[in-house]
Amino acid sequence: MASLVLSPAEQDFIIRGIEKGFRGDGRGNLDRREVTLRTGMISQASGSARCRIGNLGVGTDVLVGVKAEVNAWTPGEPEALGSVVCNVECSPSAAQEFEGRGAEEINVELTQLLDRVISRGSQGAGGLDLSALCIIPKQAYWVLHVDALVLDVRGSIADALVMAARAALMDTRLPRVVVETITDDSGTAQAEFDVVDDAEDLVALKGVSGLPVAVTFNQVGKRYVVDASEQEEAVTQAKLTVAVSPALEICAIQKGGIFRGFQPSLMSEILQTAQRIAKEELTRFVALYEEAAKHKEQQSDGPSTGSTFLVAF
Amino acid sequence: MDVDTEPPATRDIASRIVTPGTLITSDPAYMRGHGTFVENTAIYSSVAGAVERINKLVSVRPLKQRYGGEIGDIIVGRITEVAAKRWRVDVNSRQDGVLLLSSINLPGGIQRRKSESDELQMRSFFAEGDLVFAEVQSYFADGALSLHTRSIQYGKLRNGTLVTVFPQLIPRSRNHFHSLPCGVDVVLGVNGYIWVSKHVPASTIEENSEMIYSDKNEFISDDERETIARIANCIQLLNRLYVKITDTSIIFAYEASLGHAVKDLLTQDIATDLAHAVKSRLDQQA
Repeated sequence: MASLVLSPAEQDFIIRGIEKGFRGDGRGNLDRREVTLRTGMISQASGSARCRIGNLGVGTDVLVGVKAEVNAWTPGEPEALGSVVCNVECSPSAAQEFEGRGAEEINVELTQLLDRVISRGSQGAGGLDLSALCIIPKQAYWVLHVDALVLDVRGSIADALVMAARAALMDTRLPRVVVETITDDSGTAQAEFDVVDDAEDLVALKGVSGLPVAVTFNQVGKRYVVDASEQEEAVTQAKLTVAVSPALEICAIQKGGIFRGFQPSLMSEILQTAQRIAKEELTRFVALYEEAAKHKEQQSDGPSTGSTFLVAF
Repeated sequence: MDVDTEPPATRDIASRIVTPGTLITSDPAYMRGHGTFVENTAIYSSVAGAVERINKLVSVRPLKQRYGGEIGDIIVGRITEVAAKRWRVDVNSRQDGVLLLSSINLPGGIQRRKSESDELQMRSFFAEGDLVFAEVQSYFADGALSLHTRSIQYGKLRNGTLVTVFPQLIPRSRNHFHSLPCGVDVVLGVNGYIWVSKHVPASTIEENSEMIYSDKNEFISDDERETIARIANCIQLLNRLYVKITDTSIIFAYEASLGHAVKDLLTQDIATDLAHAVKSRLDQQA
């Protein structure tokens, strides 16, 4: 994202710092910033989460809502699977270059990324169980609309996006569906389903804990950094977003950046490092999600708006 | 917020925090100032901020406000556009400021006259993205700030990093360029842009008048880099915890931060502790 234009002196300062492994805010090349996670703030959605990567109340802020709908099956679609439809939108208030049609390209890039990580990457790799989303084969299935809104940008959108999407899917609760087989007069068995309209009778998604986390590596000079800030992204020449599952398998890779490509040896080093970092991130995610769940419980009577999300100081 | 029904003599209406729409006073003796509006002789606040009263004038000072720009302000700006005989500069205000070609020092001595070739190679002085340390000279008719760098300490900024803070945390003072005892120079732009850089002795700058528009950084050692990062983090935590940013408060924050690793300074717990330590030390000093 060539949004921020830095002076040659600033760029040189950043590049030399990264070469020495000492970034502008004192982090090492593989150190990540603080993450704040909250879930369940959109009461009309089946599941929602908001993730902010950054310190002291400011950072890359992504809000994800999951809405479940029942779709009628049409010939040509998989016979016994549900589906997931992703959409990412960068809010024009997040950055100046997103005004008007400025965000079109990045919206497409991030939607493709989320699609790869959530629906395509996880099928068969131990992620979301799409067959559990089927209600009646060749008749009806659940479709999950995963909608993401990027509210603020301070670097590392992809990481925040995937983390928020993961948390939103873990927070998602579907109404229970009762399937009955009715034999009509002519003797043919027909399956019918009924969605139970009880706010307490909800079912979680199967396979959510198998979803991957994403780690983005930005190449600066001869080194790479993880969780790049806006300034570091301005001097990035190429980046690689790697999605790693809890089984430490690589589920999806997306390369961004048009200025240069990766050396194959560097790429394999990055993929190895990605596994190690993903393990740490998954542990951190579990702790963050538990804290978010506790927060949600305490706030169950309060307004479910984003203002309670801000770090209080 | 309580409706102000007591007569003003028994209760001072100043220093209350109000939100838009709060009734400040219904006494017709008061005049309304900035940040207020009048409805049926009652004065209401139109912004979120603190009420101020000077004799009969009631105004509300907003907690958060765009940098406005006064003549004589020392600011740090980023060049956004190179136009005919001028540069447009982002000064963190409602409008971009303007830096005229006739308002800068040309290399080769302050007295050198502007030539036609200077107009054609404006990017050799300032290009898009460059950071400039300038002073507000005047206003244009549309309210845009006109800047100048006609002094040896102004000009292009190098050897460091930019920190953006809330403009109202930087008080206007006599001196905005500080050489801190830890070996780092700090430029406190009143518009909220702060430049933290390696200390370069003033004599070096004066000797090389040809090099004032150079883009090359000096060599920065590991220790200097760490100190720059530490000061930048201190400024950022002062900003987020809403402490006034002066050379004194930065030095206090720096001294309090020495017990922690640089990257930990921006974590919530440590940042809050440090900000409280700085605040109490500033109170003691006052």
